[in-house]
Amino acid sequence: MSGQRRRHATLIGLLSVILFTLATITTTVSSASAATSYVPISGAGSSWSSNAIDQWRRNVQQYGIRVNYASTGSSDGRNQFKAGTVDFGASEIPYGTTDNGVTEPAPSRGYAYMPDVAGGTAFMYNLQSGGKRITNLRLSGDTLSKLFTGVITHWNDPLIKADNPGLTLPDFKVVPVVRSDGSGSTAQFTLWMSKLHSSVWNNYCRSAGRKVPCGETSNFPVVFGKGFVAQPNSQGVAGYVAQTANVGTITYVEYSYAIKTGYPVAKILNAAGYYTEPTASNVAVALLKAQINNNPTSPSYLTQQLDGVYSDPDPRAYPLSSYSYMIVPTQIQDGFTSAKGATLAAFANYFLCEGQQQAEVLGYSPLPINLVKAGLAQVKRIPGAVVSSINIKKCNNPTFSTSGVNTLAQNAAQPSACDKKGVTQCTIGTGSTKGSSPAGTGTGTGTAPGTGGTGSTGTGDPGAATTGGGTTTVINAHGSTSCDADTGICQVVNAIPVDAPLPSSWGISQWFVLLLCLLLVLAIAVPPIVVIAARRSHRS
Amino acid sequence: MTVDIPRKLVLRRDPVDRTFRGVARGGGIAVLTIMLLVGVFLAFRASQALSSDGVKFLTVQDWDPDSGKFGIAAVLVGTVLIALVAIVIAFPLATGTALYITEYAPRQIRQWLISLVDLMAAIPSVVYGLWGFFFLQGNITPISRWISQNFGWIPIFSVTGVDPNDPLPTSTLYTSSTFIAGIVVAFMITPIITAIMREVFAQAPLGEREGALALGSTQWGMIRSVVLPFGRGGMIGGTMLGLGRALGETIAVYMIISPVFVIQTHILQNGASSVSSLIALRYGEASPFGLSALMAAGLTLFVMTLVINFAASSIVARSRSGASS
Repeated sequence: MSGQRRRHATLIGLLSVILFTLATITTTVSSASAATSYVPISGAGSSWSSNAIDQWRRNVQQYGIRVNYASTGSSDGRNQFKAGTVDFGASEIPYGTTDNGVTEPAPSRGYAYMPDVAGGTAFMYNLQSGGKRITNLRLSGDTLSKLFTGVITHWNDPLIKADNPGLTLPDFKVVPVVRSDGSGSTAQFTLWMSKLHSSVWNNYCRSAGRKVPCGETSNFPVVFGKGFVAQPNSQGVAGYVAQTANVGTITYVEYSYAIKTGYPVAKILNAAGYYTEPTASNVAVALLKAQINNNPTSPSYLTQQLDGVYSDPDPRAYPLSSYSYMIVPTQIQDGFTSAKGATLAAFANYFLCEGQQQAEVLGYSPLPINLVKAGLAQVKRIPGAVVSSINIKKCNNPTFSTSGVNTLAQNAAQPSACDKKGVTQCTIGTGSTKGSSPAGTGTGTGTAPGTGGTGSTGTGDPGAATTGGGTTTVINAHGSTSCDADTGICQVVNAIPVDAPLPSSWGISQWFVLLLCLLLVLAIAVPPIVVIAARRSHRS
Repeated sequence: MTVDIPRKLVLRRDPVDRTFRGVARGGGIAVLTIMLLVGVFLAFRASQALSSDGVKFLTVQDWDPDSGKFGIAAVLVGTVLIALVAIVIAFPLATGTALYITEYAPRQIRQWLISLVDLMAAIPSVVYGLWGFFFLQGNITPISRWISQNFGWIPIFSVTGVDPNDPLPTSTLYTSSTFIAGIVVAFMITPIITAIMREVFAQAPLGEREGALALGSTQWGMIRSVVLPFGRGGMIGGTMLGLGRALGETIAVYMIISPVFVIQTHILQNGASSVSSLIALRYGEASPFGLSALMAAGLTLFVMTLVINFAASSIVARSRSGASS
């Protein structure tokens, strides 16, 4: 009897300790959030730009700005903004496009477009030759569109060989990996195909049962039996290609995903006859030719027209460059309040100014000064925005200059002679795989430009790559890259300045993890102990 | 002569009893009402798509509501195939686990095993999906390839486009398949099947067990002759409840499969489909009419799951173990 009572006392004691801990945690959390004047806001949409948005929202947490963002695809972002379930949307394409015969209606709530970042739709691939990964593939526009429409079925196709005189291409099947959800990346890529390679694209569309002319579409039509794979989201397609065993796959995804997963991207032939990579400077060069809607009264103010980009005669231009947009509300309705407006405006002011510095490291390209200015003007249209005069010179945006020219584009390095059409290709890899191509001779890698620097990529300099025991650290244009020697998976090691709290080795988060571990152990251990105890007391 | 008039019986329940009856009755009615409302809501929202599509809704394989070509023939077959693969894997796994826990496991670790299996049910399905996509997919393809190469003459195991003499076989043909999605779903439904089987096995009457052992049967003989026949209803019912869950499993399937809109019966081949993952994939971007079509697909799944669950509960109730529980 006395034993049973003691057990009960222990149980009650244990419970009270748990309750007390929980109460302490809740009070700490609530007092922390009460200290700031911002309210949490939420957004959804583009996974093309989500690597940049995610980085920015992590950065603004230190100011107490809480931004929730779901990278569910541009189509979903536009629809959710229209339905009023999110405070802002992110999308590659505006409202009003005609997709598969259906024109998307504009939302009834007041809205405005605001460019958030530029970038290149890259073609990330997983290809091996003789047990080594190919990292310096080049593709012309014609070959590219035939790859994604099932015309070219094997990697050793003569068309691909013509683009790559220096490569021994394997007899692998081509497996195009496309998006299964409604996606702005798909829209950008199919728009380019419909403009430049319309017959190939229309033939494919017809075989998929769509009406021709097909035009741009957010949902890539998949013909069963052609060996296409469809995955949801940019993370899904990039994650699929990045699985070591999935050799022969190629997908379209923003350049940042290729850098993140450590896989190479194809250099695409531009109108000047050079194969280029979607680096920040090449994208900046190409987008000088983008036509921006300059009519502030138009509902599609600031949206882009990319025909000039596709045919840019500059040898440095990357043809599939584009801007990504945020859709922000201009009226108080659908649960959008002026408090939310103030938070959204503060967030937008951050990413339009300081945030652009990180675009290049992440695999994007910073916005030029005219779009930053126009974006900041759009911010003022958000209800509740606290009008703050931002000194645009302090943004340290690498494209800015006193004379008004785009510094990043002006100082972009000319392509190497080996990137010219018909010449045996360069041996240096792309993305974060620089200096590791089978056709290469072990050439070293480029040196890193300073923050906000000129963006010039040096070559040569063997020995910049240091080989460690388990990991290889390569210094390249995107900062340090750490590669695991066993898996070959590379990760970009970016140094991004943030205000760190006082260095403490054991903080609240560590306690929290410990508590979680304890709770997990308790969840496993308590039920059997209770049952055994109950059975024993019952027996006695 | 006086006629005996029976005394009028007045049932007087005390307040505690009345409160309990009220709460229990209210709960029961609420559950039924919610079910009914879900069904009515789905039917109402689906009516626009169903009335425009008619019977074609059940026979068309494409899914393109905005151009008027849509039907659930392909996705429904895909859903059933994924669920069947899951059941084929989960049933033996759950039976073995439940038998081990109730019959063979030492007393001291029995409760621990029960908690572990219950904990398996507590893992969020998105975690199963991540695991399936990033880990299982890369490691299961050699098995898929082996099955298709050796049993490819059975239609469901054949994979089109495979050249056995290809020196550079790619694994992509075997990824994102019904088979892989089915394995992941199998792990998700194993705990619930195990829990139900464990309950009924534990109820097998002690007298009959001892009788079997006294007649000289081994432990396995006793299980075969007493425990399994006694628990048959529970085994079937539990499996069908698991099947109901497998049919509706969404996010893990969504992450793994590469959706195709044709009837695809080659379970090892890339390309699969399911109703719930189709809804998850398309509801965000659908036009009002597209949403109505998705609701119609959801209604079909709802009705199908309902039928299966009713069948399961009636089987459990009619069995010996179910009747006593």
